[in-house]
Amino acid sequence: MKNWIKILCAALLLYAAVFSLWHPMAPGGLAVSATELHPGRNEFEFSGYGTHFKEGESSLKVYVSVDSSAVYCADILQVVNDSRVIVSVFLPDTISSKRFGFAANNDVDGTIIVDSPVGHEGFVFEPGTVNPDCRYSVLQEEFSRFGFPYQPIIIESIRNLMWHVPMWFTMFVIMTIGFVFSIRTLGKADGKIEHDYDLRASSAAAVGLVFCVLGLITGSLWARFTWGDWWTNDPQLNGAMVVFLVYVAYFILRSSTPDEEKRARLSAIFNIFAFVLMVVLLMVMPRFTEGLHPGKSGNPAFSKYDLDSSLRSVFYPACAGFILLGYWIYRLHYRIQKLEQQHENQG
Amino acid sequence: MYKLVCIFAAMKTLSALIKKELLLEWRQKHALAGVVLYVLATVFVCYLGFQRIESAKIWGTLLWVTGVFTAFNAMQRSFSSETAGTQLYLYTLADPRHIILSKAIYNAVFVALLNLISVFFFLLFFGTDDLGTVDWMQFLLGLLLGSTGLGLALTFVAGIAFKSEGGVGLVAILGFPIIMPLLITIVRHSTAALEGASSTTNGLNLMVLLVLNVVSFVLSYVLFPYLWRE
Repeated sequence: MKNWIKILCAALLLYAAVFSLWHPMAPGGLAVSATELHPGRNEFEFSGYGTHFKEGESSLKVYVSVDSSAVYCADILQVVNDSRVIVSVFLPDTISSKRFGFAANNDVDGTIIVDSPVGHEGFVFEPGTVNPDCRYSVLQEEFSRFGFPYQPIIIESIRNLMWHVPMWFTMFVIMTIGFVFSIRTLGKADGKIEHDYDLRASSAAAVGLVFCVLGLITGSLWARFTWGDWWTNDPQLNGAMVVFLVYVAYFILRSSTPDEEKRARLSAIFNIFAFVLMVVLLMVMPRFTEGLHPGKSGNPAFSKYDLDSSLRSVFYPACAGFILLGYWIYRLHYRIQKLEQQHENQG
Repeated sequence: MYKLVCIFAAMKTLSALIKKELLLEWRQKHALAGVVLYVLATVFVCYLGFQRIESAKIWGTLLWVTGVFTAFNAMQRSFSSETAGTQLYLYTLADPRHIILSKAIYNAVFVALLNLISVFFFLLFFGTDDLGTVDWMQFLLGLLLGSTGLGLALTFVAGIAFKSEGGVGLVAILGFPIIMPLLITIVRHSTAALEGASSTTNGLNLMVLLVLNVVSFVLSYVLFPYLWRE
């Protein structure tokens, strides 16, 4: 099996591509139509995403919780379709909180939650007078069907996780290969330069740069969807852009140094500098500063909450597949460059 | 005892090399005056355009835009002012580590002085009356660390650009991305200090500046011998 890496890579990528796009989403609560609640009867529409209200109509219940402690049952007026239901809830005039949570429960979807604060000024809080007939504590979200977890705002774009994040992982791996070969280019005791290593380092930087660009593109698309802009002033994003510029500068340095020996030495030095800068920019600095991107100012990048087993089962193969793909392209690029160089030396 | 002698000898070499840098600068007084004139002209153009600066953000950003271009201007001569003969002579005399150390120290101090001059001109033309309370200790500390960071990183980049014979434009092409993280941090720090932010919130920026200083210093120190070798 000479080509096992390629076969494995293709298989992993195929699996990741198919499942990241085809895998269903778990149902989730999208929104409620009410912008304010007041004591007495409130009528509003509860809309879910990927839910089955019609199918589970017999077991459907809708709750309104106040500060996640007191929970009131809503009367279901009409199930419009699978994702919309019109309900009415009676609230006593003893509520002061402005934070309301909305939850629906049925046998098909499990519990789905819309967590949106609805403000109202007129409440006075008197503890201890909660309507006792309908008390329900909303437990964890449970999914009766296996699917990607529903997250507000992100929703379907969570599939981008399998494309965007592996790009950066691959870039890191490939750049690390370049970094190691840059050190080995310089590291000869007698001060001689190994041109083969230089070639490998530059090939790695080229392939890494391609993955950097792909990461920027997929990230930009995701930012547009979730944050509303193609680019936001975020340390992780700015850092990624600087890394891109640094590696472009690396190739400008290479092309502006005609002497081969000198080029190998200088670009190796610059590549070591660039790699250390990349680690500082993408791994260290974002953690010190505030921003939107996951993985900073206390937000873990992949917590238990973000990354459940259904995501993992696609995410890890996708990472492995892209890293193998990157390595494969790097090998091809290196060999083409080497052949070209040999051809030049002969002719 | 032997180690102490070694350190003493290294200090002596270093001070001699720094003296050489100073002497070179002094002999090219016109170039020195040119850099200062450059600072003055930039700030004056800013003054003609803005007249008053009410926002700390603009104050800080303009200051560092001036600072960066001044540093580039000053740095371009760092290596190219020496002839190939001088460099060969130095190569036979001194350890390359001492050479980069002397150049880095000299340039860091030089850039810091230039930035102090530019702050002086900023105060002269714009003042800080429109900004409110300014935390001057914070501001100056950041200015110092930012300047030394610029000096250290750009000295190394100037060395690479000089060796590649790619012309003066290469310093800017290689240097700008390299100093970008430093620049982002120092602009943020200066702006916060000008707004009078507490030292606890701004201390993190100072830490990042310090880390960037150390990183560029260590990298130049380790890698310069390979650059110097020919």
